[in-house]
Amino acid sequence: MIETIIKRDGRAVPFSIDKIANAIFQAAKATGGNDYEEALALSQKVVDYIESTGNTRPTVEEIQDAVEKILIESGHARTAKKFILYRSERSRVREMNTRLMKIYEGLTFKDAKENDIKRENANIDGDTSMGTMLKYGSEGAKQFNELYVLKPEHSKAHAEGDIHIHDLDFLTLTTTCCQIDINKLFKGGFSTGHGFLREPNDISSYAALAAIAIQSNQNDQHGGQSIPAFDTFLAPGVKKTYRRFYVSNLSKGLELLCGFEDAFEASKNLCLEVEGTYGLTPVFANDNDYQAKEADLLINKYKLPEANVRKAQSFAVKKAVKETDKQTYQAMEAFVHNLNTMHSRAGAQVPFSSITLGDDPSPEARLVCKNFLLATDAGLGNGETAIFPVSIFRVKEGVNYNPADPNYDLFKLAMKVSAKRLFPNFCFADATFNAPGYDVNDYNSKVAYMGCRTRVKANVYDPTRQVTCGRGNLSFTSINLPRIAIKAHGNTDIFFEELDRKIDLVFDQLYDRFLIQGRRRVYNYPFLMGQGLWLDSDKLKPDDEVMEVLKHGTLTVGFIGLAEALKALIGSHHGETQEARNLGLEIVGHMRSRCDQKSQEEGMNYTLIATPAEGLSGRFVRMDRERYGVIPGVTDRAYYTNSFHVPVYFPISAFEKIKIEGPYHNLTNAGHISYIEMDGNPLDNLDAFESVIRCMKDNNMGYASINHPVDRDPVCGYTGIIGDVCPRCGRHDGEAISEEVLMKIKGYSTSVCSCDENPLEEADKVAHPVDIVEI
Amino acid sequence: MMESKMVGEGVKFERIRRITGYLVGTLDRFNDAKYAEVNDRVKHSIGTGNGEFEEV
Ligand SMILES: [Zn+2]
Repeated sequence: MIETIIKRDGRAVPFSIDKIANAIFQAAKATGGNDYEEALALSQKVVDYIESTGNTRPTVEEIQDAVEKILIESGHARTAKKFILYRSERSRVREMNTRLMKIYEGLTFKDAKENDIKRENANIDGDTSMGTMLKYGSEGAKQFNELYVLKPEHSKAHAEGDIHIHDLDFLTLTTTCCQIDINKLFKGGFSTGHGFLREPNDISSYAALAAIAIQSNQNDQHGGQSIPAFDTFLAPGVKKTYRRFYVSNLSKGLELLCGFEDAFEASKNLCLEVEGTYGLTPVFANDNDYQAKEADLLINKYKLPEANVRKAQSFAVKKAVKETDKQTYQAMEAFVHNLNTMHSRAGAQVPFSSITLGDDPSPEARLVCKNFLLATDAGLGNGETAIFPVSIFRVKEGVNYNPADPNYDLFKLAMKVSAKRLFPNFCFADATFNAPGYDVNDYNSKVAYMGCRTRVKANVYDPTRQVTCGRGNLSFTSINLPRIAIKAHGNTDIFFEELDRKIDLVFDQLYDRFLIQGRRRVYNYPFLMGQGLWLDSDKLKPDDEVMEVLKHGTLTVGFIGLAEALKALIGSHHGETQEARNLGLEIVGHMRSRCDQKSQEEGMNYTLIATPAEGLSGRFVRMDRERYGVIPGVTDRAYYTNSFHVPVYFPISAFEKIKIEGPYHNLTNAGHISYIEMDGNPLDNLDAFESVIRCMKDNNMGYASINHPVDRDPVCGYTGIIGDVCPRCGRHDGEAISEEVLMKIKGYSTSVCSCDENPLEEADKVAHPVDIVEI
Repeated sequence: MMESKMVGEGVKFERIRRITGYLVGTLDRFNDAKYAEVNDRVKHSIGTGNGEFEEV
């Protein structure tokens, strides 16, 4: 007699024949049957069979084997088939659950240093409570989406590593990123969902609210947040600040020189009078007739002596310029500090933020740009290099590229800062694909990149709205190029055929995901859509679906490992031979033209990105090595090379690398970036640094940056290149040093080095580089 | 005579590197593949150092 059965987890539980009958009945029902009695009779046969083998404590697996056997033997082939299917589906789910629990086990009991998943994204601290909690959620969501949401063919392709669906955990939730028009957002104030913020009134509040806007939207999307014309957007804050300082300093001058009693009120009213009568306001550059009209009133209406009036006015300008400069610096410093400390996403991350600036020649925007660069140069409280925001200097001929251009000084400063801090990166508005429509006075016409590389410009869905602001990527999925190449065995025709199949698969998957994203409503994106950040979302009501307005965004195909794919196909990569260079461009060019064609067919923005592949670079190659073994130059390293890059290990000159990678920027319209690794300390060779940047522009690149080692010894504060020994204090990594020696080196006591004690003095300390920028 | 106090025991050098566009302050946070990639990176020769490139 069977009284107990053994479950999969080893527990013994009471046996019940009804459970077997029910399983058989469900399988029969799926083929149209509905005879429970027969199912019960069959289960009795199953029990009899098991007992006949002498087994009195069967396992679940043994019972299921017996069910299959009895069903087939008693002529219920179709029911048997259904049962087998049901059984394998259940075991797939169980396997996934086990896998998930294994992952949870690793997240729970292992430190990040032993657990690769915890380090999937280098900017999330997987060892903190909130970081781990995020990972539980993310890993659970990924598995759920793989099992129950994705079409089986997409799920399979992802699981097997043919493609990689990025941000799979967010599949049913939101979109990637947005270029935020904070100008529009600030007008009349805005709500974060936790409180209403009034329209800002000086540069400090402009900068503070800009950080809050980034933080708020970071919680509505899974990618990064970007402000595409930071200097232009913050210029009104400088204007308001200058006006206030001018009025208050004029009042001081008048009080001192002319014995005005209530000078502050008088100055304020005077300013209002000039503004009201002549439409003129005090401006930072002092290049309008405001002061002439003001003097006129003071001398003729208020009967003040002309000499004193002129004196007070020039005092007011001098002081107001200085104070505005200082306050702008402090605002930028606070902005950088905020973006490196303010939390988002349950506190486990700071927002992934980027800002673009540099090509607005107005005096106020220049002041913002200069002071942002100086604050980046100064670093955080103890001089650390700021991780955020990713800053991007937009290079444009006629604005900042050549010595005669109005912002050339800022370009020079940007390179100097980048040579020390790795940021800013450089984007090139003159690149053939970025240039069309550029208008120096219209921020919406200027191309902008997201920190890591994402780019929007063209708009097939609505060609009248080829704007930067309010748009971004919806989702992207990358294709494993090396695998297609390995499987093609050197036959490029086969390679392209298979590539086409994968592109079709990805198009289909992106569109499926778009439908999920689009069926969500404005209230699902309370800041992005609720506050009107996304293009045309201000025309929607809270309950409306976002489907139509999302079409302004991009559906993006990515790729990884062009170098390894070329190696597998023809034995050389594009760093090595001209043949590989040609084939590489043919492959990526083909992918782009498929995207263009699809865009035209669907009236949507299908685009091609050079995938940023942090989590992915190891995953694909690991799976391919398991399948195909170690193939030299293809699967023999721990990573596949990023997108179209020449492999990082390949020795090549900067010039050659730029020349080879340049043409790919034109093909990858959803985003791209190239890097040069510079030896030594680039601050010692700024000319070389500049020549590399100019070479990037000359080769029609869209977005690029220079890498160099930035090391820092937290003990003595040295920033630069550190080998085994700190060049300033002489200590090894982790080694102790005597405080006496350290004090001698630093020239002052360590106990008073806290730099944020007096921010005013800090601003003064960096006053020297200010001089190189004549404002 | 009193010995001078020692400071900095266990304090590691920070090594900031760029990974797929973002800066990362400590190598401990890199995943295994990226750690290998960063280690493999070679410098790109710039030429004369006078701002002129050597054509290859
Ligand atoms: Zn040191």
